[in-house]
Amino acid sequence: MPPVVSVRNISRRFGYRLILDRVNFEVEPGEVIGIMGPNGAGKTTLLRIVAGITKPTSGEVEVSGILAMVGHSSMLYDALSASENLRFCARLYGLADEGTIDSTLDLVGLSKWRNQRVGTFSRGMTQRLAIARALLVDPPLLLLDEPMTGLDDTAAEIVYQVLLDLRAKGTSMLIVTHQTDPVVQLATSMGFLVGGRMEVIEKVDNRSASDIAARYKEIVHGG
Amino acid sequence: MARVLSAAFTIAVKDLAIELRTKTAFMSALVFAILVLAILFFARDPTAVASIDIAPGALWVTFTFAAIVGLNRSFLLERENRALDGILLAPIPRSSIFLGKLLANLAFVFTVEFISLPIFVLFYNVEVWSRLPALIAVIAMTTVAFVSVGTLLSSMVVRTRFAELMLPLLLLPFLVPPVVGAVQVTSRILAARPLSEMLGWLKLLVAFDIVFFVLSLLLFEVTLEE
Amino acid sequence: MTKADQAASLSVKGRIITGLALAGMMGVYIRALAYTPIEQTQGPAQKIFYLHAPAAMTALGAFAATGLASIFYLWLRDQRVDLFAAASAEVGVVMSVILLTTGPIWGKPIWGTWWSWDARLTSTLFIFLLFVGYLVMRGALEEPVIRAQHSSVIGIMGLVLVPFIHLTVYMFRTLHPTPVILKPSEPSMDSPMLATFLLSLAVYALLYIGLVVQRYALAVLREARSEEAANGIS
Repeated sequence: MPPVVSVRNISRRFGYRLILDRVNFEVEPGEVIGIMGPNGAGKTTLLRIVAGITKPTSGEVEVSGILAMVGHSSMLYDALSASENLRFCARLYGLADEGTIDSTLDLVGLSKWRNQRVGTFSRGMTQRLAIARALLVDPPLLLLDEPMTGLDDTAAEIVYQVLLDLRAKGTSMLIVTHQTDPVVQLATSMGFLVGGRMEVIEKVDNRSASDIAARYKEIVHGG
Repeated sequence: MARVLSAAFTIAVKDLAIELRTKTAFMSALVFAILVLAILFFARDPTAVASIDIAPGALWVTFTFAAIVGLNRSFLLERENRALDGILLAPIPRSSIFLGKLLANLAFVFTVEFISLPIFVLFYNVEVWSRLPALIAVIAMTTVAFVSVGTLLSSMVVRTRFAELMLPLLLLPFLVPPVVGAVQVTSRILAARPLSEMLGWLKLLVAFDIVFFVLSLLLFEVTLEE
Repeated sequence: MTKADQAASLSVKGRIITGLALAGMMGVYIRALAYTPIEQTQGPAQKIFYLHAPAAMTALGAFAATGLASIFYLWLRDQRVDLFAAASAEVGVVMSVILLTTGPIWGKPIWGTWWSWDARLTSTLFIFLLFVGYLVMRGALEEPVIRAQHSSVIGIMGLVLVPFIHLTVYMFRTLHPTPVILKPSEPSMDSPMLATFLLSLAVYALLYIGLVVQRYALAVLREARSEEAANGIS
C-alpha cells in the first residue's frame, strides 16, 4: 500500500528564521509516528504543513485521502453548542448524519453536554470535543499536537483510550509531543526533531517510557 | 460548483447562528447607525440647510460605518480558538470560504440597513414610499460593492496589529466610488428625478460591483496563506 | 560579497543618482525662473507647473509601478519584488505630498481659493491616502512573507481602484462647476516652456530612480540585519 503521507525535503522559513530544514519522512497505513523535540524545534509547523494549512517554503507533501487534526487550539466556536460545532464540521465534509454526531459525542463522554455552549466547557471537555470533531469524519489519518497537555485525569484517560482504539482500528497517526507525554507509548515509530532537522526516525517496538526518555536525551542533548 | 455553494452556505449559516446567539456586533452596529443618523441631523445650521439636503449623505455615511462594525467582526470570529484552521482542513475549495463570509456579511449589513432605513425616514422626514423599489435597488448594489471589498480586507487585517483600526483605513479609499455614486443616485431618487439622470452613476456602481467582486474572490486565497 | 555589502554599494549608487537629480532640479528652477517666458494668462504663478506636473506624473507612475510589482510578486513570489513595490510606494507618497502642496499654492492665485476639489487633485488625494494606508499596514505586519502577500493584494486592488476614483471624481465635477477666476485651459506651451517641462520631467524621473534605489537598498539591508539578529549571528 502507498504511504498515507509522504513528506519530501520540506523546508520552511518564518520571519527570518529557518524553522524546518529539509525534513523527510513517510507515514505508512496504520502506522503511529510520534515526533518529539524541544520547544521551537518546528514540530507544530511540521504538523500544520502536513495538514495543508501552512505552505512549505520548499519541498513537497503528499497526503492520500482526507485527514483530521487536533491542534493546540480547539478550532471550536465558543458561542455554539457541542452538537452545533460538530454539525458544522460534518456539513463542511459533506456529511449530514445526526447519528454519527451522537455516537461521536458518546465516545468522548460528552452526550450529556451536547446542547451546552463550548465557551462554558473546561479545558478537558474542550479537548475531548476537539477530538470528537476530528473523529467525526472517520479520517484515515489523524494529526495530533500535544493532545494530552493540560488535561485533567478523566479527560486524559478518555483521550488515551480513544487513541488506543483508533490505533487498533488501523488509523494512521502523526503525534507531535514532548518526551514525558504518555501518548508516546502509542507510537509505533519515533522521530526526533532538533533545530528544524529530523535527526532520527526509527521503530519503537514496545519500548518502555524510560527507554524513550533515554533515547530522547541521547539524541537531543547529544548523550 | 454545487459543492462550493453548499460549503459557502454552511459557513454563512454558522456565522449568522453565532451572531444570533451573541448579538453583540449586530446591536453595536444598529445603535451606532441610529446615533450617527441623529448626530448628522444636528450637524448643520437648520436655518440655512434643510435636512433633506443632507439626507442622502447622512444615510450613506451611516451605512458605511455600520458596515465596518460588522466587517471587523467577520474574521475575528475565526481567530478565536483558530477556528479558521478547522475550515481550512475541510475538503472544500477556499473560494467557498470567501463566498460564505460574503453571504453572512451581506445578511448582516442588509439587516442593519433595513432596520435603520425606517429610522432614517422618520428622522429626516423624507418621502420614500413611492420610490422604495429604486432605493432598495441602489442599497443592494452599493452594499454588494463594499461588502465584497470589505470581506477581503477583513480577512487580511485580522492578521495585523490593531486590526480594528486598520480596516477603515484600508477600506475607506475603496468606498469612494460606490458611496459617492450611491449618494448621487439616492439624492436623485429622493428628488424624483428621471432615471436618465442617474444612469451614469448606476453604470459606475454595476461596473464596480462586478470588477471588485471578481478581484476580491481571486485575491482572497492569498490572504489565507501562511 | 554578502547581501549587506551589495545593498550598501547599491545605496551609494542611489545616493549618486539622487545627487545628480537634485543638481538637475536646481538647473530646472534656474531655467524655469530666468530663461523661460512668462505664460500670458496665468502669469508667474504658472512657474509652479514645472514643479507640480512632473511630481504628479512621477507619483502616479510610482503607484502604477507598485501595482504592477504587486502582480509580479504574486506570480514570482520573490521578496525583492515586494521590497521594490514598497520603495516605489514610499517615493510615490513623497511625490504626492509635493503635488498636493504645490497644487493649492498655484490654485490660490488662479482659482481664488487654496483648495477647490479639482478633479485631478482630488483623485490624487484619495490615491495618496490609499498608499499611506498601504505603508501603515506594512508597518503593522512583522512576518515578511505575509507582509508581502498582503501588500500585493492592496497594490493590485489599488491599481484597479485608480480609474474608478478618476471616473467618480470626474463625474462629480462635471456636475458642480468650481469658481474660477482665470480659466486654465490646457496650457498652450510654446517651445521653451515645453523644453523646461520635459527637462523637469526627466529630472523627476531621475530623482524617482535615485530615491527608490536608496530605499530599496535600505530595505534589503534591514532584512539582512533582521535575519542576522533572528539567527543570533553577531
